[in-house]
This record gives sequence, C-alpha cells and structure tokens, in this order.
Amino acid sequence: MSCRRISSILKEDASVPDLTPLTALGQTAPMVLTRGALTVTEHPALALASLALGRGAVAPCPFGVQLPEPGLWAAGQGIAAFWTGPNQWMIEAEGRAEEDFARDLTVHAPGCSVTEQTDGWVCYEITSSKGATPILNLLEKLVNIDVASFGPGRATRTGLEHMSVFVIRRAEDRLAILGMRSSAASLWHAIGTAAGRLEEVLE
Amino acid sequence: MARLSGGLIDRTKTLSFSFDGRGYTGHPGDTLASALFANDVRLMGRSFKYHRPRGPVSAGSEEPNALVELRGGARQEPNTRATVAELYDGLVAKSQNRKGSLSFDWLAVNDLLAPFFAAGFYYKTFMWPKAFWERLYEPMIRKAAGLGSLTGLPDPDSYDKGFLHCDLLVIGGGAAGLAAALTAGRAGARVILADEDFRLGGRLLAESHSLNDAPATDWVAAAEAELDALPNVRILRRTTVWGAFDHGIYGALERVSDHLAVPRGVRQTLWRITAKRIVLAAGATERHIPFRNNDRPGIMLAGALRAYANRWAVCPADRVAVFTNNDDGHRTALDLMAKGVGIAAVIDSRPDVRAQGDYPLFAGAVVSDSRGRLGLNRIAVARDGRETWIECGALGVSGGWNPNVHLASHHRGRPVWSEVLHAFVPAPAGGPPGLTAAGAAAGEGSTAGALASGARVAAAALSDLGFAATLPDLPRAEDAAQTLTPLWHVPGEGRAWVDFQNDVTVKDIGLAYQENMRPVEHLKRWTTLGMATDQGKTANVTALAVMAELTGKAIPETGTTIFRPPYTAVPIAALGGGDSGEHFRPRRLTPTHEWAASRGAAFVEVGQWMRAQYFPRPGETEWRQTVDREVLATRRGVGICDVTTLGKVDVQGADAGAFLDRIYCNAMASLKVGMVRYGLMLREDGFAWDDGTCARLAEDHYVVTTTTAHAGTIYRHMEFCRQCLWPDLDVQLISTTDAWAQLSVAGPQARALLERVVDGVDLSNAAFPFMACADLTICGGIRARLFRISFSGELAYEIAVPARYGNALMARLVDLGADLGATPYGTEALGVLRIEKGHAAGNELNGQTTARMLGMGRMVSVKKDSIGAVLSRREGLEAETRVLVGLQPVDAGDPVVAGSHLFAAGAARNTWTDQGWITSACHSPHVGSAIGLGFLENGANRMGEVITAANPLQGQEIALRVVSPHFVDPEGGRLRA
Amino acid sequence: MLIPHPLLGLRDAQEFTYLGDASLLNRPDGMAEGADRAFFDYAYLRDNPAGVHRELWFHEQGDRSWLVVTRDTTTHEILGAELARDVALKGGARWPGCPAA
Repeated sequence: MSCRRISSILKEDASVPDLTPLTALGQTAPMVLTRGALTVTEHPALALASLALGRGAVAPCPFGVQLPEPGLWAAGQGIAAFWTGPNQWMIEAEGRAEEDFARDLTVHAPGCSVTEQTDGWVCYEITSSKGATPILNLLEKLVNIDVASFGPGRATRTGLEHMSVFVIRRAEDRLAILGMRSSAASLWHAIGTAAGRLEEVLE
Repeated sequence: MARLSGGLIDRTKTLSFSFDGRGYTGHPGDTLASALFANDVRLMGRSFKYHRPRGPVSAGSEEPNALVELRGGARQEPNTRATVAELYDGLVAKSQNRKGSLSFDWLAVNDLLAPFFAAGFYYKTFMWPKAFWERLYEPMIRKAAGLGSLTGLPDPDSYDKGFLHCDLLVIGGGAAGLAAALTAGRAGARVILADEDFRLGGRLLAESHSLNDAPATDWVAAAEAELDALPNVRILRRTTVWGAFDHGIYGALERVSDHLAVPRGVRQTLWRITAKRIVLAAGATERHIPFRNNDRPGIMLAGALRAYANRWAVCPADRVAVFTNNDDGHRTALDLMAKGVGIAAVIDSRPDVRAQGDYPLFAGAVVSDSRGRLGLNRIAVARDGRETWIECGALGVSGGWNPNVHLASHHRGRPVWSEVLHAFVPAPAGGPPGLTAAGAAAGEGSTAGALASGARVAAAALSDLGFAATLPDLPRAEDAAQTLTPLWHVPGEGRAWVDFQNDVTVKDIGLAYQENMRPVEHLKRWTTLGMATDQGKTANVTALAVMAELTGKAIPETGTTIFRPPYTAVPIAALGGGDSGEHFRPRRLTPTHEWAASRGAAFVEVGQWMRAQYFPRPGETEWRQTVDREVLATRRGVGICDVTTLGKVDVQGADAGAFLDRIYCNAMASLKVGMVRYGLMLREDGFAWDDGTCARLAEDHYVVTTTTAHAGTIYRHMEFCRQCLWPDLDVQLISTTDAWAQLSVAGPQARALLERVVDGVDLSNAAFPFMACADLTICGGIRARLFRISFSGELAYEIAVPARYGNALMARLVDLGADLGATPYGTEALGVLRIEKGHAAGNELNGQTTARMLGMGRMVSVKKDSIGAVLSRREGLEAETRVLVGLQPVDAGDPVVAGSHLFAAGAARNTWTDQGWITSACHSPHVGSAIGLGFLENGANRMGEVITAANPLQGQEIALRVVSPHFVDPEGGRLRA
Repeated sequence: MLIPHPLLGLRDAQEFTYLGDASLLNRPDGMAEGADRAFFDYAYLRDNPAGVHRELWFHEQGDRSWLVVTRDTTTHEILGAELARDVALKGGARWPGCPAA
C-alpha cells in the first residue's frame, strides 16, 4: 500500500544515526532561561504527531489517553493530547522525538490520519517557583486569552507577537508554549522579554 | 506667591526641576504646572497661530495651553501638558512654539497681523499663483506651524502591551468610579479600575468637601485600600482609557515610568481590555466663557483654581477674581478665601444672586476685557453699560460643566442635550454596548449624586451579568444642585477666544457663519476649531452654542460634536507595542541557518524568512562572481540549496486524490503512488495562482508543496475547499512546512552524491526515475523523503529530513561531495537556474497571468471540474495571445531589465502598441549574457524576431531577440539522465 | 470585535482572517450546462448589504475552522456564528433574500 516502501532499510536495528541534531534554537542542548520566578526551557525531546479522524472513524484512545474536548488538554503516562480543531488533536510523547512516533501512533489510531509534527514545532516549557501568579501575569503580556478561564488542563491556539502558537496550561504553575520551529528564536525572545519585564515590575 | 496651607503634596521632600533653563523646586505630588505656579511662573507657552502668551487654563488632561517639551535628548517629548506631567527630581522642560524667548517671541508679530489670519485664511490666501504652493507657501507654513519638535533620534525606551479581561471596567477613579468599583469588587466580579491621574480620587482631591464629616481623602484612602486588597480588583493608576472599540474592547495606556527621570523597565504599556460591562465615570470638564482678551496667563477655569489651591496648595496670584454664571464659581471664591487668597470680585452674570461669603459681588455683570502683556493684571467688569477695571492676577471662569461623554460617543453614540444641565450627556442607548455613564460624566455632578450613581450603575451592570450586588453604604456628602443660567460668550469688540490651542475666536465662528460654513463639521474644518492636540475639550460645546446663537437655532439642532479615539494622545511607540528593530516582526530561520551563517552566507529577507542569498568565497569581490560560480558549479557538478521555505501540506484521507483533482487544474487522482507531479492552482476567476508539486506517498496520502510566498494563503484556501465547498469528502489537511528540512540537490553529480548518504537504496534511473518519490532512511537510520524533481533543469532531487537534522545534513552533503564539486547555493543562484530553465515563479505568477500565458493552457483539464477551470475558458482569457518567451539581448553586452515593456521593433511606444513585459531577468553564466523571461503577444510564433524593450524610467531601449524560454536543455534530457 | 466561535466561545477577531460573503459556499457545478454564467455570478457578484450580512471568517490563529458569521455591518453586532462545514452540509448559505447561486 505504501509507496515504494524500501522496507529493507527501515532496519529495526538501525545503527545510531550519525548526523547531529540541532534544537530549534540552533543549539546542541536545550536552552534554559530564568527570569524571576519563571524558568523557560526548550523541550526538544517531545515528540508530536497530529491525529485527525477520517470519515466514519471512531475516536481512538491512543496509549490510553482519552482525546479531549475543544479547548482542553489531557495527559496520560508519558503521553498527552490536546484538541487542535474539529476532529483533530495533537498527541505529545515525552522523550520520543528521535523515534518515528507518528508511525507508532498510526498503529494505535485506526481510521485516522496521522502526521509527524515533532520538528514542526518548538516547545517551551515554562515553570513558576511562586505558584500561578507569575504564569498568569506572563500570559497577560503575551496572549489575548482570558486567564481566568484558562486553568490547568486548558489548551488553545492563538496569536503571540504575530506568531501562531499553542498554549497549554499543564498545571497551576506550568505552562507550555508551542510555536513554529522556524520562528523559535523570535518566540524565545518574546517570552524571555515578557518574563524579564515581569521581574522588573516585581522589584 | 508662597505655597498655601494644606494640599496633597509631600513637603518633607524637595524635587529640583528646570523650565527653559531656570532651576526651580517642587514637591512629590506636584505636577509641572502646580510647581511652576508655586514658583510664580504663569507664562508656560505660546499659542499656535498668533503666538499669544499663554498659561494653564485647567488642572487636568483637557489642557489646551500649557504644552511643553519634556525631557531632553532622545527622550524629548513634545506637546506634553504641564498640568498632568508628574513632577520628578531632575525634570527638564522647555516651552515650545516660540522664536526667541518665551517672554519675547518674534513670531508674536502674527498677533498684529491677526486680521489676515482669520478663519479660512489658508484656503483663501495660498490659492495663487498655483506654483507657489509647493515652492513657497507650504514650506513656509510648515516651518511656522506645529507646536513641539521631535528630536529625530531613536526612542531609547521600551514599550509593552498586554491583554486584560474583566467583568466590569470602571473608567475614572473619582467619587462615582470608586463607588462603582467598591460595589462590583465586593460582589466578587472581576473589576478593572483605571484612572489617568497618579492619585485616585478625581475631583474629590480638588474640592474642600468632607465625606462623613472627615476629609474626602480619608474616604478615598480607605476605598483604595479595600480595593487594593481585593484579589478580583485590579487598579490601573496613571492609565488612560483612550478608546472604545467593538464588543467591549477598550484601549488603555498605562504610563508605567513617565514619572521617573529614567524609566525603570517599561516606559508605557498599551493594554487591550476586554470587558463585559463598562462604567464611564470620567467626570466633567468645566466650560469657560469667551470675552475680549480672555486668553491671558492667569485666566483659568474656576474649578482649576480650586484644584490648584486645595490639592496643590498653590494659587497663580494673591488677588483673584471669579467670573461665573452658576453657583459653582462662588465655591472657588470661598475655597480660595479659606486658604487666605484675596478675592477681588465675583462677577456673576445672573442678576438675582447673593454673595455666599465676604467678597465683593457684581451680580448681573460680565467680564468684558483684560490687560497684562505676559499675564493678567486687571479685568474690565461691565454692568448696565458701565465698565469698571479691577486689579487681579488671576481670574477663575465658570460657564458650567460638560460631562466627559467622549468614550460614550466612540461608537458614533450621539450625546443628547439636557435642558436642565445645559450640557450634552451620554444618550441612554446608541453608544458602545455595555457602557453606562455615571457621576459627573452622566450629569450627576454633586458628590452625593456621583457616589450614588456610581454604585447604582455598577449594581445594575452586575445584575445583568448574574452577580448579586448590594449597594454599599455611601458616605454623607454635599448634594448641591447645579443652578446655571447659560452664558456662552460676552458679546463685544475684539477677539474672544473659544479654542485656545488653535486660536479660534468668536469672530472666526461669525465669519464661518457668514461664509455659510454652518454645519458643525464645516465649522470645524473652516476654523480648525477642536482640531488641535486637545481635540477641543474646552472649546467644542461653546463653539456650537455660539453658532446656535448666530443661526437662531437651538443647540441640539445646530449639531452635536462627537469624539473619536484617542481621548488623549497615545504615543506611536506605545501603539507599536514595543516591537521594533529586529523584533519588529517575527523572523523565520531555515534549518540550515547555523551552517549558512558559519559559511559567511549573505542573507535575504523573503517574507518572514531569512534565506541564504549566496555564499561568498574568499577572493570574490562582487556578488555576481559568487552567484555565477554557484550556478556553474550546479550545472557542472552538484549544488545544494535549502528549499525548506516552500509550503508543505500533508493531505490524507480516502478522497485525498479527488480533493486534489478539484483544487489543481490538472489531474492528481491519476498520479501513481511513489510519483510526483507538477501542479498548477488557479483562482476561481480563472487566473493562475500558485504552483508546486504533489507527491503521492500512499493511496490515501499526498504531500503537496506551495510557493514560499503563498504558503499561508494556499493552506487557508485548501481548508476553505475542504470545509466549505466539499465537506462530504474524506480528506484531512495539516501543514508540515517547518517539520521537514528540505534540500535541493541538483546537478549531473546529484545522484552520485545522494548515493553516499542513503541507506542502501537503488537510485538508478530505472529504480528511481524522474518524478519518483520515496520514504527511506539516510545516514544510518534517519527518516527521510526523497523526491526526484528539478527546478534547475538538471538531474535533481529534493531530500527531506526531520528539521533538526537539516543543518547536519547540509554540512554532510557538502563535505561528502567535495570531490564531486558539491557547492551550496543561495536564492540568487536558485533564481538564475530557474530563469535559465524557463520555470515560472512569483514574477510570472503575479495574479494577472493565466495558464495559457504560462504555456500551460493545456494543463487545465476539461474532463473534470476544478477551481478556476470554468472561468479560465472565458472568451477574454481564451483570446489572450501573450505567452512566456525567452529574451536575449542582440548585443550581448546589453542589460535585460525586469519591468521593461515590449514593443515591435520600430513601433510607437504607447499603451496601444504595448505587446507585453519582462517578468524576470538575470545574468546567465550559461548563456554568457543577460537573459530574461517575459510575456509577449503572439510570442510562440515570433521566435528569432528582434523586438524592443523600453524602460523609460532609466531611458533604456534595448534590442532583444525572442527565443525559447528554455535556455538550458530544452528537450529535458538532463532531468531524466 | 469578538467572534462567538461555536466550539471555543468568544474569540478576538484578530485571530481570524476575513473572506467575505458566505454565498461563496454555493459554488456552482463546473460541469453543468451554463456553468460559465453561473461562475461569473459566483465569482463577481456579491450583495453588499448595509445591515445583516452572512460572511466567512477563518480562525487562522486558532482551530483553523471556517465560520459563517452573521453580522450587522452597520453596528458590528454579531448575531451568530456557525461552523461553515455544518452550513455547507446543510445545503449551503442560501437564506431568504439571497438568490440561489
């Protein structure tokens, strides 16, 4: 069924690839930035794949994660999912960015269209050492979302400095912002600047 | 004169500042205006047109006169109102709009020439001779006009923006606003209270009234403390809500650091507030009463004199008169007397009033004139036809109060005239939805009335939103009724100013009337009334009343003035939200950016992308050398170029083929799995839109590419087709542009090079022919996609790997291919290669060309329906004979310039003989001369003909030979090698 | 403006791009008799009412849904929003007063 499947070379025991990957910020290791209570960390180990229901498909429960309703994010064991559009979700897999996670997901999602998205995005994980407030203050500066209705388990796509991003509230004190990989540096700058300004205000 | 007693200034600290180079001192809590008054400075500016000496009229943001240049160097800020500039240590201010010193302004000669500068002067005077406008009049006027000056230096400060959401936005922190915020805050609603001042309290800070028999500031402090402690209430101090937009969206400017000598962090923040309900508690602005020479420094609004005395403990003179048509003016006299200021007289236009204290009262009298060159020293009082001169250094004028209806009229809400208040008040409906005025802004001007109205309006708004709000216990407060007998101006000789800032007088309005510029919009434009930086806050209603008197109509019949955003000026820097310099907009980097930068590539902005333009080598002194080398290296060996920026869309689903058949004009469903096809998309109007390739990876899985420029719009279009046109098709789309690094590997050695990285795949022509594609792995197991497609006309591939490996793959290919001549190339060489091959790109697909013109007319399938197919066959487009041709100069040394128009040799040069244009041009190292592509009438039948390219902008006429657009390998043998 | 997204609630209009009259949903059949006339009307003729207008908005910085938004062009009041896909499945954007394409 698949094209010109050159299966012989998709070796189970493929030797370790000998190309050195770069993170979206062009580094060999993830960047970390701390401003006041907030720490921003690039998360290149996160695998991503989109999942869309084909006609008549029943929503699967990939790796035991129930696909969430619009505006929501659901987490399981090392796997999470957030709603991205009608009948469409993004599946996150911790630590599997170097694998062919999309292929694995296809097996767990019959009747669905799965597309590899890992390197389509840069993911910045933002944690607060002082609870929710710095997270909310940061959001107010970056995105036009009503923070009062953006509690843990919420996820949305929106604009941030003219960039399209997914924002996920992973916990009271944890936030993830996913942006287009190619604009990783601009997004890093925007988040870092906003976080830095919060620190100035708190002084 | 010395400071009065009391006031809300911190006398324990002294702040130094300077005005026009002279040093002064003030205290925390002062504005620049109050501090200057405390130093006996009344003269603070010059008027716009006549350069008349001016001092503050007001104590707030409505100020028309006291405009200064604040700060120095790159931070110099023109047209800052001294009345709201918060004093800080080291403040530097200069007066503006003067030539010479403030007290001796050479341009005050304009004042003597006033008869020539009447309303409509510009329109009448500078009409002829016509040529003089550009050469003489305009430069002269521009030089003389304007108020403050700009430095021309880059703004060193940072500006910020943010987004806030709330149930109730309270605009204004005076009596009504505080009562509203308390009511809503206690009910648990999310409240934002914004006030433009640096201290909450509004008019309560300016009056001597008590609340619950204690100073009003005690109650303000308690309310502020309570609000500060409520987690659901946010107070934005120094924040002006300047505009109401659709659906409860408000613009607000927070002056975060304007009160600091050097901003700490952000200077100003622009907030976009989304509110469910809004209380407009913006207060009211006092009216003045025009009389002859009413613009001298020292002549002020009566309420402003009171504010300076009560809040700032200053008075511009020690002997003051008051001119009023209402009871409020008498309050000024009483408050000033209580502070020990001498009251020279109270002049009340109403005949039957009594003095409310021990001061001389002229009832039934008016002020008819004034004297004092740089500041007031006496006034003329007219009663029963007799004029008396009275010595005084300041005059408070009160003509009543205009509610601040500005934001209520931002949705073209038209305020209504209140016969009781003799003022415009916000209409109950028609303004911004969800906004209700309260307090003085609603005409509830007494303290008790404002408090009660704020609480009531907030409670009603909350009950709309489903909150149970109870009215708070409000403090006991004065509740005096406003009794006013309108007096709009004092008739008489001479000039009586209506609009101080733009120097519009009662006479000017009379002239506008005579010249039939009577509708209020005409009046404004003829006289420039209300069009200065203060937007006529102290002038518009008075002007309307003067015009009403002239026309004999009632005020509301004469017109209504409504206001546009912004309420007060908003710096462009703040509107920009802090995005400047390299962060002006997001930048997209290709996966091989690091490598390209390390190789010293020159970069070019392509939309948001930064792409490698060319890779200069040591010894190459000029970009053409580099590009020529890259092109030849590709044609002779192998070149590698990052083409990641092309849009990529993953198309999956049982009906993916059917879907693509409908969006491409050529067939896609028939494409075999493992093959790629060129695709052309039309717009529905039949013109060519975008092109790319379509690779079929599986029966139900395609990957299509778009041009870099159209990646976003084509994706949007594809979603439109999927969701809106054919929702019954089983097809799913997602963009994968950024996910894959895609490199073009082109040239006769391309196969040899790729064979060195793929993991055991047969790339022979038989196994992997032209237009084949495959999933495979490279470099020991890295997922990759390989497409045998060519943009250059050479044997070529595009190889895609997860973006993180793109940089390393580029380096690897260049290293591994050293013996094959592997050469990285940039967008310049890419362009040359495609022009040499005659491939259309953005210059040819410019939205005005058709498939037929591109030589692809037969690609538009007639066997199926697809976007644009029907209209591509309409008569006008079928008759089009301009087609893509190649163009080569007859004299090999001649240039070919894109944009030149094409004419038959010897033909006249005009629109009727125009036969086409040059779309793309470059120097072709392959051909050895400049070459071009262009659209030429009947071009297919004119091979070999010599035509003329005309470029009148540069005076060029070049003889060109019409040739095939395929300068390289027209048979396509290389592609298939 | 705020657009009431049927799945996501009120969203700022800055997240959307605007296309125009929702009659674009009623694309004629290109293989039918008289398709040239029908496409001329479809591509070039739009009602431009001062008042209630049904129009297409794309949630570009959001869930990528096309919406049919009913808006009063004189007041910007938004009277409703539906997923364009649902409207199309129900037979397009025809409504009283709008000539069938």
